[in-house]
Amino acid sequence: MLTQLRLSGFRNLADARLDLPAEGVALVGANAQGKTNLLEAIYYLEIFRSFRGTRDSRIIRFGEDVFRVEGHLEHGADRQVIAAAYQRSGSLKKVTVEGVEPATLGAAIGGVGAVLFTPEDVRIVSDGPEERRRFLDIMLSLNLPGYLEALQKYRQALSQRNAVLRDGGEAAAVRAWDALLARLGGEISHRRVRWVEERGSEFRSVFSEASGGEEATVSYQPGSVDEPPPGEAGSEAWGDAMAEKLDRQFESDRRRGTTQSGPHRDELRMHLTGSGGSDASSEPRDLRHFGSGGQRRTAALTLRILEARTVAERRGRPPLLLLDDLFAELDADRSRRVVELLDRTAAGQVILTAPKQSDLHFRADRLVRWNIHDGRVDRGPSPNPETP
Amino acid sequence: MSVIDEVTRELSRLPGIGPRTATRLVYHLMREPGERSRRLSAAIRELADRIHPCPRCGTYTELELCRICADRARDRTTLCVVESAFEVHSIEKTGEFRGLFHVLGGRLSPLDGIGPDELNVASLLERIGEPDAEIAEIILATNPSVEGEATAVYLEGVLRPLGVRVTRLARGLPMGSDLEYVDGSTLAEALSGRREM
Ligand SMILES: [Zn+2]
Repeated sequence: MLTQLRLSGFRNLADARLDLPAEGVALVGANAQGKTNLLEAIYYLEIFRSFRGTRDSRIIRFGEDVFRVEGHLEHGADRQVIAAAYQRSGSLKKVTVEGVEPATLGAAIGGVGAVLFTPEDVRIVSDGPEERRRFLDIMLSLNLPGYLEALQKYRQALSQRNAVLRDGGEAAAVRAWDALLARLGGEISHRRVRWVEERGSEFRSVFSEASGGEEATVSYQPGSVDEPPPGEAGSEAWGDAMAEKLDRQFESDRRRGTTQSGPHRDELRMHLTGSGGSDASSEPRDLRHFGSGGQRRTAALTLRILEARTVAERRGRPPLLLLDDLFAELDADRSRRVVELLDRTAAGQVILTAPKQSDLHFRADRLVRWNIHDGRVDRGPSPNPETP
Repeated sequence: MSVIDEVTRELSRLPGIGPRTATRLVYHLMREPGERSRRLSAAIRELADRIHPCPRCGTYTELELCRICADRARDRTTLCVVESAFEVHSIEKTGEFRGLFHVLGGRLSPLDGIGPDELNVASLLERIGEPDAEIAEIILATNPSVEGEATAVYLEGVLRPLGVRVTRLARGLPMGSDLEYVDGSTLAEALSGRREM
């Protein structure tokens, strides 16, 4: 639970010290007033960078040299202060957990235990495969020890191998990277597959519930191996399969000057499986290409709900839900069903934003309402029992 | 450019020394009696004039052949391959290794334009192929980083056909750590528990 947030120099937000109620808050404000910036500041403490991909130097408020975010967390008797700051002059970034700098940023990520829902999430479903891999990579990095390290090393080895291929280096100098690539790639694919398999049936049920009875499935399609090892196989079997494929594609990789197989070519697929629509056939249809806007949004939301459940199980406590204008694009029926789902998924703290008070569908009766205007948070009265 | 600026610039090129530290060092030197700065500069000059890589192993020496290569009491059947001369120093400090060394002068990093030809690989093969060579085991002690691992895999590939035993430092070392930063006892342990490649 986030009990206090301290901000300075962060985007348009006024320097502030905000005490957050255990239940959470509803943040109401028109566009460009700073709602999303506040969620960005909180999530910065989870991943130590902007979830929007903004460079640190550009987060600093105009005319300032430093931004700083500090979060006070409380989990039962456990208290922790996580802080992050960036200074433009000298390009200095400093992260501390309980006042101590972690050995690597990777060692400190995931400390808040937050899950962020934004309207941009629909891109996980509608954009190219790299968006879905990014979703898996961030989620698994935050929840599985060692995943981030394997991923970083894999990328490093991959760009080194591609550099030899580009320069037309000797075969042995290319092969030098293969063992590492296969071992690390095997670990990554294996962990992604495991997650998708473990959550597959939940994906069905959550999607069905949120959409009001529509059917969809999720599956992992490894481009890294020709024949996926059996379900119970460990990362070593995946590594062996990947080594085989690297070996088989060796000459082709050399001709094309790039590594053509590996987890960087894997794909997370989602399919509509119901016989819905006028088409009587029940052939699975790729959600990315054949889903309606509503269905894609529901699928993205479903992935986030599964992420929230993963966080809850991994950390043994409900995640902090950050819901950015969640209901903007959902029709009333979908919104109602999503609210029910979220309520069951997370009994924890919620910080949600909405442009208007009437858009507050979730816990509207229970959440303290804050208004935000021109970066200034105005802490309103406690929840009003008369509000519908 | 003033002398102060010039010395500051030269110092800030050293690893681990930023412009701020360099400036502090320069002001420290100026406060000290001039004799100390003269001694320091003379010593650094000697380093540049008298030190050269050993023609056999590549470690630094002021002798014709380095102290280790020249020592007839060293075990000539084991050869430890390291990335840089600094690691020779680290391993020597443990006192656990009695064989000879070979310094690669870096590690494979195609992104930085460093391939096998940029490393002292040819001289390593020559050493093994010499008629009076007694080398029976080669220990690959490159760093456990991504590049160090790939370098070891590469070397294993070229050494294996020569019929020598090739081993790798055991993984008591924390992943990704440079030998440079590993303490002596961890290194000694790694040396004794090396594994077959
Ligand atoms: Zn020597």
